Amino acid sequence: MRSWRRNRETGLEAELRASRPEPSREFVHQLEARVRQDGRARRGSFRVAFVASTAVGMLLALSSVGGLGYAATGAGNAVAKAKRIVYKHGVTQVHKSAARAQYRPKVKKCPKGMKRVKGTNRCKKVKRTRGVRFGKPPFTG
Amino acid sequence: MFRVDPLANPEPLIRRVYSYVAYRVGDGPDAEDLTSETFERALRYKKSYDSTKGEPVAWLIGIARRCIEGRPPSLELSSEYLERADHGDLEDDSLRRIALSSAVECLEERDRELIALRYGADLTARQIAEVQGAKTNAIEVALHRALGRLRAHIEGSESAPVRKSEAGR
Repeated sequence: MRSWRRNRETGLEAELRASRPEPSREFVHQLEARVRQDGRARRGSFRVAFVASTAVGMLLALSSVGGLGYAATGAGNAVAKAKRIVYKHGVTQVHKSAARAQYRPKVKKCPKGMKRVKGTNRCKKVKRTRGVRFGKPPFTG
Repeated sequence: MFRVDPLANPEPLIRRVYSYVAYRVGDGPDAEDLTSETFERALRYKKSYDSTKGEPVAWLIGIARRCIEGRPPSLELSSEYLERADHGDLEDDSLRRIALSSAVECLEERDRELIALRYGADLTARQIAEVQGAKTNAIEVALHRALGRLRAHIEGSESAPVRKSEAGR
């Protein structure tokens, strides 16, 4: 059918097809470059949008299973470890030990009848307690 | 839904749109300007292209038609070919081409439109019918008649070869 139609095409039709106006090569190249440039620009913006939407999607998916908390803990641990490595340690001193007692400053004993006030170097007089004096119990038998 | 890019392969589209426009307004800078304008509009309204309604070339031809209709009235058919023909020694086929293009220019607007769509943009009768909102049969008949008138013009001009530029003097 198609070939029959093609054969039926008159000389005038063939001539119209053959002599149809053609654009200059330069014009075609310029316009083609313009069209392709626009397409590339649009593809670039599409890429940015795609990356952004993927990131948002991943965040949403992770947050639904507690991934955000997990990630925050992981980050906190990493920071703590890094701090531990970087931190400069000084000489460790043990303040309370048995050996320490050997070098403590000497404290004078309080004189007789006096008592040390707790937590200080001072001494204070001990009050004599006044008890009830009992004499010899009476002979009853 | 995945969107089809109508301008993915622009080179053949540029050639077809240019040929259509050149058949309508004449070959030269006016045709280039209108083709550029068509593609600028196509880029701007690329999202409006619907692949279910037709091929990209038909969509572009629709835009080109609106560009031609919206052009300022001072833009007349360029007669570059005819003016050039007077000054140089041209081969027979070149003379024949010039006679053909001048005969196309002598046709009525509707006939010229049909010939531009069929032989410039290389659309089928069905595609032309879609572009013009007519029936395929009606387009085929109209094309046949337009070709008859074109043939008559060519034969008439061959029997009485009067060049445009000479007639204008």
